[in-house]
Amino acid sequence: MRLYSVVLKDVFRRKAKLAIAVLGIIVAASAMVAVVTTFSAATESLYEESNNFGANIIVRPQTNSIPLIAGSTSLGSISTGDNYILESDIPGIYDIENSANLGVVAPRLYGVVGLGHENVIVMGVDVEQEQNLRSWWKVNGEWLSDPNGTEVMLGSDIAKPLGLDVGSAITLEGNGVDMEFEVVGIVESTGGEEDGYIIMPLSVSQTLLDKEGKVSSIDVRALCNDCPVSEMSLQIEGALPDVEARAMSQIVQSEMAMIKHTQTSAMAISIITLLVSTLTVASTMLASVNEKIREIGIMRAIGASDHQVISMLFLEGALIGTIGGSIGFGTGTLLSYLIAPLLGFAEPFPMWELLPLVSGMAVLVGIVASIIPAKRALSIDPAEVLRSV
Amino acid sequence: MSNGLIHASGLKKSYKIGPNDVEVLHGIDMDIENGEFVSIMGQSGSGKTTLMNLIGMLDRPTGGSILIDGDDITTISRKEMVDYRRRTVGFVFQQFHLIPSLTAYENVALPLVFAGDKGHSAALDALERVELSHRLDHKPSELSGGEQQRVAIARALVMSPKILLADEPTGALDKETGERIISLLNSLKDDMTVVMITHNHELARMSDRIINLQDGKIKE
Ligand SMILES: Nc1ncnc2c1ncn2[C@@H]1O[C@H](COP(=O)(O)OP(=O)(O)OP(=O)(O)O)[C@@H](O)[C@H]1O
Ligand SMILES: [Mg+2]
Repeated sequence: MRLYSVVLKDVFRRKAKLAIAVLGIIVAASAMVAVVTTFSAATESLYEESNNFGANIIVRPQTNSIPLIAGSTSLGSISTGDNYILESDIPGIYDIENSANLGVVAPRLYGVVGLGHENVIVMGVDVEQEQNLRSWWKVNGEWLSDPNGTEVMLGSDIAKPLGLDVGSAITLEGNGVDMEFEVVGIVESTGGEEDGYIIMPLSVSQTLLDKEGKVSSIDVRALCNDCPVSEMSLQIEGALPDVEARAMSQIVQSEMAMIKHTQTSAMAISIITLLVSTLTVASTMLASVNEKIREIGIMRAIGASDHQVISMLFLEGALIGTIGGSIGFGTGTLLSYLIAPLLGFAEPFPMWELLPLVSGMAVLVGIVASIIPAKRALSIDPAEVLRSV
Repeated sequence: MSNGLIHASGLKKSYKIGPNDVEVLHGIDMDIENGEFVSIMGQSGSGKTTLMNLIGMLDRPTGGSILIDGDDITTISRKEMVDYRRRTVGFVFQQFHLIPSLTAYENVALPLVFAGDKGHSAALDALERVELSHRLDHKPSELSGGEQQRVAIARALVMSPKILLADEPTGALDKETGERIISLLNSLKDDMTVVMITHNHELARMSDRIINLQDGKIKE
């Protein structure tokens, strides 16, 4: 027999009384696990979404403005240049220093064409790159597939009023040419500008709009969460003639900040729970020392040292911590599955790496909570408590 | 100066009650020889338990000294006190005071655990000595009073102490069971000195000598 088995047997015998302390630890541990698990999943999915949301950098043609000055008075400026990027310049992007971080490079061409009596906006896209960028779009029907095919996808704001659906044929009047298209897909409303666009392969749109070899903008997606996006923007501006590259990471950053803020508050509440549970354990242990006052007296009389008395109490505290921490990890993980959908967060996943951390913390709480009870136990005078009545 | 195993001289003990010191033992001079079986008798409140606690180092005297085998134990450190309780004395109480969550065997082995002794065969020997080898796995609640007291005696002698101290060991038992316990204690005196507190004259007569306490003094 060892000292710990004495403690185990004692704890097992008084399990009903120690349940409160274990429960306290379970509450605190599950609160912390739930917070960490829920927010980790949310942050992770935000990183993923930040890719889906669109490009991190948007490249546009530089607008050359010439200041108009009459004498000493500025009359403003006028924009010149033809406001297009040459398609042949695009491969230059892949020569930048951070080219390894380039994910998607999606050129687009915008223009206005006639559809019946209406004017509509056409967006020509690099079919493959665009689909990577818009993987989160829900498309009824099919995505564009042929880079030279006369097929289009319609934004929901176009499709509905005009009564168009997958399979419909439309004729678009471009600059000097009329072309017939087949509707292959309808993009469900995204809330973005594309709801009002007709989307077609880039080369076809260049023909339709008479802008051969030209694009209006390039959306560049960087392939990392902490890319030096603004640095990359500068590199792109250096690599391509007459372009402006702007980082678009602010949206993601502000959203991330909001999640971090919520997480901090939730963590603060968890830490308060932890403190409260420490008190619960401390008071339970104190009650348990008072209850065992005679047993501790007996143990002293038959040769238990101060060190052994304290070890037994700390072991009891640590045991309460281990049990509570492990159960708390389980309940906390389950809890996060309940919380995440309520907050509109992504589905969480069990974070096993938290198990040793939480157990360790719970054990620490158990031991810290045992300090005062241990002091009390050491002050027990065996002569007094063993006196026959 | 005697060369007895236990030698007390001018032993005093007072308790603080509120602001006052109340002296309970007023200078006890006493010698107990090796291998003696001694009974301590006296009225309730005369200081018997107090004296026994001093011999067993559960408490320290406020005056005088106790020598065990010639060594003064009244001034030993807290650490030495623990060692003294482990190896020199064994206690038997009126209420048995077994640990309820442990079996008979585990209760008897507990002093070995505290002393850091690895082998527990001494626990089996001790239980055999009190004729309880067939009750090893019983919890105290599953044993009769007499059996519980025998387990307690086994626990007291498992470390082969020089002195066995028994405070009213038969107080909670019927007459017949009590007599069995006394003859068990009597049989131990070949190996150790036995000091027993009792209120029962008949049982006290089974011992070698009776020490009478009256109001904190030995009555000659
Ligand atoms: N811790 C204490 N504080 C104050 N007074 C005490 C304390 N312990 C014992 N006393 C007092 O000391 C006196 C002697 O007590 P003790 O227990 O030694 O008597 P006893 O002879 O064993 O009595 P009994 O036969 O009833 O067990 C009593 O008056 C008791 O009230
Ligand atoms: Mg007494």
